[in-house]
Amino acid sequence: MRKIGAARIGIGGPVGSGKTALVERLIPALHKRGVDLAVITNDLVTHEDAERLRRTNLLAPERILAVEAGACPHTVIREDPTLNMEAADSLDRDFPDLDLILIESGGDNLASTFSLDLVDYWLFVIDVAGGDDIPRKRGPGVIQSDLLVINKVDLAPYVGVTLAPMIREASAARAGRPVLCTNCRANEGIDAVADALCAAVLYQAA
Amino acid sequence: MNDLSGLLTALQFGDGQFPGGGFAFSWGLESLIADGQITRTGFGGFLAGQMRHRWAKCDRVIIAHAHAAAGDLSRLLALDDLADAWATVETMRAGSRRAGLALLGTHLRLGTPGAQPLKNAIDGGKAQGHLPVVQGVVLAGIGLDGPSALAVSAYGMAQSFCTAAIRLGLISHLDAQRSLADVRPDLARIIAEPMPDTDDIQSFTPLADIAAMRHMDQTQRLFSN
Repeated sequence: MRKIGAARIGIGGPVGSGKTALVERLIPALHKRGVDLAVITNDLVTHEDAERLRRTNLLAPERILAVEAGACPHTVIREDPTLNMEAADSLDRDFPDLDLILIESGGDNLASTFSLDLVDYWLFVIDVAGGDDIPRKRGPGVIQSDLLVINKVDLAPYVGVTLAPMIREASAARAGRPVLCTNCRANEGIDAVADALCAAVLYQAA
Repeated sequence: MNDLSGLLTALQFGDGQFPGGGFAFSWGLESLIADGQITRTGFGGFLAGQMRHRWAKCDRVIIAHAHAAAGDLSRLLALDDLADAWATVETMRAGSRRAGLALLGTHLRLGTPGAQPLKNAIDGGKAQGHLPVVQGVVLAGIGLDGPSALAVSAYGMAQSFCTAAIRLGLISHLDAQRSLADVRPDLARIIAEPMPDTDDIQSFTPLADIAAMRHMDQTQRLFSN
């Protein structure tokens, strides 16, 4: 329905899985690919995530908006995404050359999903330290997201997780749709995520 | 629109689940709770005070005049200016604008009559898009009569305070229903009262206004205001 503006990508996932860390790594990776970018964060408690991003100086502060969720992280990305849509529309107005808006959900549970009126594509971030049984729980976030990211793969040996079966189970639960692994702290696996996003919504060849 | 059709329309657009962004605003309540200025037993009185001393004397008047002038853009722009002037607290003013734009955005996408000209005026910098003006326009656009539009707005405001109070841990789900039932006769009476002229708008809710002013300084914020 909306006029053509920037593509919108949602990033959801449980608390502490590494959504903000992934955004911090994706910003330079997307800049390197020539993508003009802005970010919206939905913080559960404070402007923590937006402030954290602003402190990194990766993006001009006016390209990072915070939308409060009134303690309803599900609602603001799904049942009533209007405030996020307004924030994204305002970024489109302020930055006419914008290619991409990343919308980072507040930390939530495995049942969170994005409204397709809000985003064109969305990814769900889990981490190995959350347990290798997460894919088996088949939460809507794990199943329905366009891309599943398994973060903190470096921690696998320390939390009793064997990565290969976890990836296999995640792929099986998603009927073969994409699963990528990252270690955001060490900037590992980020290029593959950036390539996947660019291919999916910006039609750039990897 | 017959009675039943009108009731069903009012239920759809008065539903707390209607996507208009209302869940993210507490209109001062979050700071009142953080500052220890309100208790569970005091919530009913707070709600009645907000409805009587702000909604009834300020929002209601702007909504009613906007509803009556839904096709008259220059009158709507004047009412929007008035709403802006009456929102003396920055977080309330920003909240009224953001909630107005969110509600208008949904009605634009639904094709509600009257939404597009108002949006064009906002995009052209001629209006801010304050919530009571948007409510008046879109509730007229969906075909509700004046009193029904006011009932939808009053109920929306009251239930928004209640759900915010539940999420902030102040009251229970049953407290909320009791508070809504207690305030209902008051709201029905206020809606039936003669409509004041816009020169007679008032608003006096000092405790909530001061709390709303303090909102940006709170260390923890779940709500936009």
